[in-house]
Amino acid sequence: MSSCENCRDSLVLFIDNEIEDSATFNEIAFHLQECEGCRNQMETERRALNLIRTLLTRSCCETAPSTLQERIAHQLHELQLQELAGYSQTEIITQYRRTEITIDGETQIEIETSHEIRRDFPF
Amino acid sequence: MPTEISTPDSSSAGELVRVDREKESAAERKKRFERDALQYMNQLYAAALRYTRNPEDAQDLVQDTYAKAYTSFHQFEPGTNLKAWLYRVLTTTFINAYRKDQRRPQKSDSELEDWQIAESASHTSDQGKSTEDVVLENLPDSDIKRALAEIPEEFRMAVYLADVEGFSYKEIAEIVGVPAGTVMSRLHRGRKQLREKLTDYARERGYVKGGAE
Repeated sequence: MSSCENCRDSLVLFIDNEIEDSATFNEIAFHLQECEGCRNQMETERRALNLIRTLLTRSCCETAPSTLQERIAHQLHELQLQELAGYSQTEIITQYRRTEITIDGETQIEIETSHEIRRDFPF
Repeated sequence: MPTEISTPDSSSAGELVRVDREKESAAERKKRFERDALQYMNQLYAAALRYTRNPEDAQDLVQDTYAKAYTSFHQFEPGTNLKAWLYRVLTTTFINAYRKDQRRPQKSDSELEDWQIAESASHTSDQGKSTEDVVLENLPDSDIKRALAEIPEEFRMAVYLADVEGFSYKEIAEIVGVPAGTVMSRLHRGRKQLREKLTDYARERGYVKGGAE
């Protein structure tokens, strides 16, 4: 595969800063310095991506309504009251199970299993 | 006092944060939660609006998210990425409850589909890039939100988490619960569809010459 092909396949990852392997990263960075075509392509893609990001960030910045803030504050208070009342104590349930396995109708093996279940909150 | 905590706005990974979660009282934990987690409410609400596409469900989703986050806050590892953790709670809550049970009617889906079909039929190839950039910048916020709302949910989440919230592919993979490779392909396809929609809207508004009826 030519280095141009390699480079173009990885352009978006390069722009997103998602190339973890430093050898690959350096290879692409070096190629971009050398190759004007790939460099132009990279700039085009980077501009397009920056535009999308700018537009989205500009538009999607709603503020939580004050009623929601109140609802959450109230709820946290309620949850804490329940917690203080002991409802939310971590429960550890230990279960025992006995299994009898008969081999050849003679030997009996007894297995005792126990496991813990952590229950954090009865939601 | 065994608790040494960083300032609220520097709660990202890598900070030296010591919280003795064993000895922490319920009141101390609530205080820590309020100080560290509630600052993300606006961001979570904006994300919830993208997920649910209506304000009532978005508010319910954020409230449920904070309830779940609060009751499992002792499981959160102090000093790790709290914002990503909250987004994971938000996303999981949405996927488990809201998506299965869309409680309020949304904008009619079939309407959207008809509209999309009509639009894609009239879609032509890219215009000159820099001119297009200027044109898209002039689109009103309502068009940007509409375009995002109309791309498939998986793509919408990936694009929002990457391009608005700035999460890495790996973080998104953890938030959404899919492999990083899947995130990458959803993100690329989502961005592409979003851009196509925006270009269509610009054409619809007569911002772009050619291609329109």
